[in-house]
Amino acid sequence: MSPAKPENFQPERAQPEDTGKPGWKEAVKGFFFERLGLDGVAALAAHKRVPIHSRSLFYFLGGMALFLFGIQVVTGILLSLYYKPSPDQAFESVRAIVTEVDFGWLFRSIHSWSANLLIGVLFLHILTTYIMRAYRRPREFTWLTGMALLGVFMTFGFSGYLLPWNQLAFFATKVGTAIANSVPVVGKYLLLMARGGEEVTGDTLARFYALHVVILPLSVLALVGGHLFLVQKHEMSVPEDMIKKYGSAKKAPSMPFVPHFLLRDMVGWYLALGVLAALAALFPWELGQKADPFSSAPPGIKPEWYFLFMFQALKHLPGQLFGIEWLEGEVVGVLFFGLLGLMVLLVPFLDRGAATGRPRRVLNFFAVLTVVFFLYMTAWGVLEKPAQEQPAKTPQTTADSPEGPPVKGTP
Amino acid sequence: MSDSFPRRSWLARCLGGGIAATLAALFYPVAKFLRPRAATSSGALEMVAPYRMDQLKPDAEGRWPSPFNFGGKPCLLILVDGEPRAINAVCTHVQCTVEYRAATQDIFCNCHNGLYDINGRNIAGPPPRPLEVYQAVKGSGKPGQEEIIVSRKA
Repeated sequence: MSPAKPENFQPERAQPEDTGKPGWKEAVKGFFFERLGLDGVAALAAHKRVPIHSRSLFYFLGGMALFLFGIQVVTGILLSLYYKPSPDQAFESVRAIVTEVDFGWLFRSIHSWSANLLIGVLFLHILTTYIMRAYRRPREFTWLTGMALLGVFMTFGFSGYLLPWNQLAFFATKVGTAIANSVPVVGKYLLLMARGGEEVTGDTLARFYALHVVILPLSVLALVGGHLFLVQKHEMSVPEDMIKKYGSAKKAPSMPFVPHFLLRDMVGWYLALGVLAALAALFPWELGQKADPFSSAPPGIKPEWYFLFMFQALKHLPGQLFGIEWLEGEVVGVLFFGLLGLMVLLVPFLDRGAATGRPRRVLNFFAVLTVVFFLYMTAWGVLEKPAQEQPAKTPQTTADSPEGPPVKGTP
Repeated sequence: MSDSFPRRSWLARCLGGGIAATLAALFYPVAKFLRPRAATSSGALEMVAPYRMDQLKPDAEGRWPSPFNFGGKPCLLILVDGEPRAINAVCTHVQCTVEYRAATQDIFCNCHNGLYDINGRNIAGPPPRPLEVYQAVKGSGKPGQEEIIVSRKA
């Protein structure tokens, strides 16, 4: 195809498909297709199909996660234009973003809300992938890259939480990194590497900032690239019962990805955009108080909801299990959650009957147990009131003050 | 050249070894760079606390004076029978900063509900070990308004 002539760009000629012969649009398209090798992409897009069945809704979750990540990239870049990663300026710069910069409140709130929705969508994406047994051969590495992405996004959440340098974030980071200290053998090293020192300081903030804006985004690009490549390579997973019903995955009903499924995807993205805008406007993300590294932790310290189940477990594990001195509850808790994570990671390899379609009763039992445990602990963590209020009901008079003022109970 | 020592494999090993040495030379400074700087202070320490005796009392909301920076770690100053007592305020559970509750005369951690008595002993909740108690003595100043000297051994 020859390159477009200048006179072809007249606006009055730009009518779509008025004649059968190739117009300027086709010429432009041909120009780029020839030089960029877009035929392959077009062929892939035309080839990609999405199965239709009762659980087709599950297929939207991956695209939704990708969309929310796009929101994070855009709002994150915008926030980085005003944010200053130092203990003296971080809190003030975020305050300036939400109070002084036009629409700063909106972008900060959307960034925080979208981050939380993204983690939620990823949880559902993993759960539905498990339900559909979509990790079975040859898609084990799709599962593994997905789990790595969950890890990266949870680290995103943890590191981003500290950046405003408020009380809640400071202590959440202190606790979170101290938990790394409980890991046997390498714990101390992990803690030092995470904090950039013995304590949570400006060096910690700098490390978390570098993690949040450079290291993790690059990791996501690599991992998402691998994940999407594998999804295209192995095509969409068709559930076992559909294969059984229609004889093969190819014969099961499906729709083209472009444009049929993509347009449905976009409906979901529009909805998500609306939900985000509504959440940001109605429930703006709080800033809290500036971190004071030497003050007592304020009541009501809580991590983000997706860490709450671990936090709650740590809260209620005793110092020593069964009264044995070396059996510290915290270490046992950390090992337990480490093991749990490893089991989830290895699901495609633990499901030995996946190839033959044998039911996975034992695995399902543990999966249900894990989900119930997660939901129960999270709900408990959300509903539990700070214990600070309890002793205030029985104030005691103290005689230790030389001035002897009446000691008030805490409110 | 004998077959047991072919020149080609020797060259390949040299190349591989050279690349490995180069990588090691590159990663060594990176690994050292990532390792945090040495702690600002450690070992023995003595300082005058930022509170005088008459300032050790709850504020209008019942909150005891905040811990202060003692060698890079928060340190709690409390009164026991009119004498100052300094306690490391870092909870032994997961390193939150504890607070003194004058009303109940105990030390409480808001993060995971850890409870200590005024001797720093862990009495309830998840903390596995007691808090470290430092030495605190009254220094110069008018009676009732003396400064407080906090110290710890190496």
